[in-house]
Amino acid sequence: MTKSSTKTPVSWWEAQEVGSGQRLECRVGSLALTIGRGKDEWTLASSGIAEEDAEAKASFRIVKGLSEEVDERFVHSGHSGQVLLSPRLADRPVVIRPRQPVFLLSGQTITLYLSTPIWLQVQVGDPAVLLKELPVLRLSDTWFGPSTREGELCYAGRTQARHDPAELPDRPHRAITPLTIHNKAASPLPLEKISLPVPLLALYGDQQGKLWTQAVTLTRQEQGEMASIQIDSKASDGGSEWTRLAEPRQDTGRSGMTRAFDLLFGH
Amino acid sequence: MIQDLLSSFQYETLMAMFRAGILVILGLFLASLTSRLTRRLLQQRVSIQMQQLLRRIVFYGLLALFIASAMRELGFSLAVIMGAAGVLTVALGFASQTTASNLISGLFLIGERSFEIGDIIRVGDTTGEVLSIDALSVKLRTFDNLFVRIPNETLIKSEVTTLTRFPIRRLDLHLGVAYKEDINQVREVLMAVADANTLCLDEPVPLFIFTGFGDSALEIQFSVWAKRENFLALRNGITSEIKDAFDQAGIEIPFPHRSLYAGEATKPFPIRIVDHAPPEQDS
Repeated sequence: MTKSSTKTPVSWWEAQEVGSGQRLECRVGSLALTIGRGKDEWTLASSGIAEEDAEAKASFRIVKGLSEEVDERFVHSGHSGQVLLSPRLADRPVVIRPRQPVFLLSGQTITLYLSTPIWLQVQVGDPAVLLKELPVLRLSDTWFGPSTREGELCYAGRTQARHDPAELPDRPHRAITPLTIHNKAASPLPLEKISLPVPLLALYGDQQGKLWTQAVTLTRQEQGEMASIQIDSKASDGGSEWTRLAEPRQDTGRSGMTRAFDLLFGH
Repeated sequence: MIQDLLSSFQYETLMAMFRAGILVILGLFLASLTSRLTRRLLQQRVSIQMQQLLRRIVFYGLLALFIASAMRELGFSLAVIMGAAGVLTVALGFASQTTASNLISGLFLIGERSFEIGDIIRVGDTTGEVLSIDALSVKLRTFDNLFVRIPNETLIKSEVTTLTRFPIRRLDLHLGVAYKEDINQVREVLMAVADANTLCLDEPVPLFIFTGFGDSALEIQFSVWAKRENFLALRNGITSEIKDAFDQAGIEIPFPHRSLYAGEATKPFPIRIVDHAPPEQDS
């Protein structure tokens, strides 16, 4: 049996050491990743785990010996055996569909906690060199737009649309976005499809190893035609304990934007 | 006195002819010199056909100028020549009808912008990538790497499909399931396959249409959408996934069926068993 040592840092995105001839076996939610350090090269193998079998906490194990089945090999001669798994948010907006239709009546406000799977950047060495960036869970493609001629390609997500943060299950591979929706129009707002502008959000990690983004506020204007998005400049709850892990992929430069209503809320 | 006039007239004519001759020779000399100069200047820049064409144009152009002035010296009126040239132009016009049509069609095609360089178009049976939109024709490269030239006139007159215009594309799958199958179950199986396939778009929602009661099977159309670049990958992926899902669910895709009746639908088919031994044959 190969000797192994298990260590699970609470903040699993911190650096780990892998000696030469050893491999690091990681399980982050629905992704199983094996990073091996050979002589002057690093090897990478990944496989998916069904979401039902995903564990609540990320786990890491250092095993002696390199595995024979590798997906990719990266030539990199360096003395440092440091491995850094940095989480990042998805590279496209995520379209969230609540499992049951939710109706927001006129004048009401609701805060939903939506989760999106993260991408992992595998970096090795010191200074850190990026080997690969891969998603923890490959979501299905979907199209979000007013017609088949215009719109953008997004990822499709399903959510339970929980209001209570205490109900949120522990899942290390998903980042939670608190989304507040105000309905200032006279008619009820059906929340069937919401396009969450994930590339505009930054990623934060808290002390328990959970991942968060800033709060996003969507306001449907009185006339009902336009909706405004407001993204907080920094994380709101427990701001001082949270570490900013990743910058937004796209920077709009403005915190508030107004878009046509049907670009945010599909029908 | 008449003799003086005649001799001076002859003298004028001779001088004119002499001057005309000089002009023509000078013209020939200058024209050939200029054409050689043109060739030297354009050697690296343009193709051989273009070079030769330009040389000829320069040569004959200059020569024509000098001949025209020589003719003027001799007293010929240029108006007559212009008249002849007018008739020639009309004749040329009739001959170059197609070329002119192609030229103008080309301008309209470019103005319309229904396809651009790099787009993939289908004209009739030919599908290919647009390499260039030239004055008289459009050049395509087909998928099996052949070069096709399509006159602009044909493009203006006929239907052109631009496959790369919109970002997403629908794949229509036509399948048939056996009559004994439950259509709702088939629909659920197909929707589950589409849901599990990551390349298949969740929105627009996959379309399930029961097209009719076929000869041998229940005809179904299942349409799924994908990003245009993933179309081929989806086509190959989802068809094999559907086959696997059908096999797992026990849904049968039938072969063509033919039913035989012995006159009445309910009566059994009469069969007579013949003795195996073949009869004796002569020769």
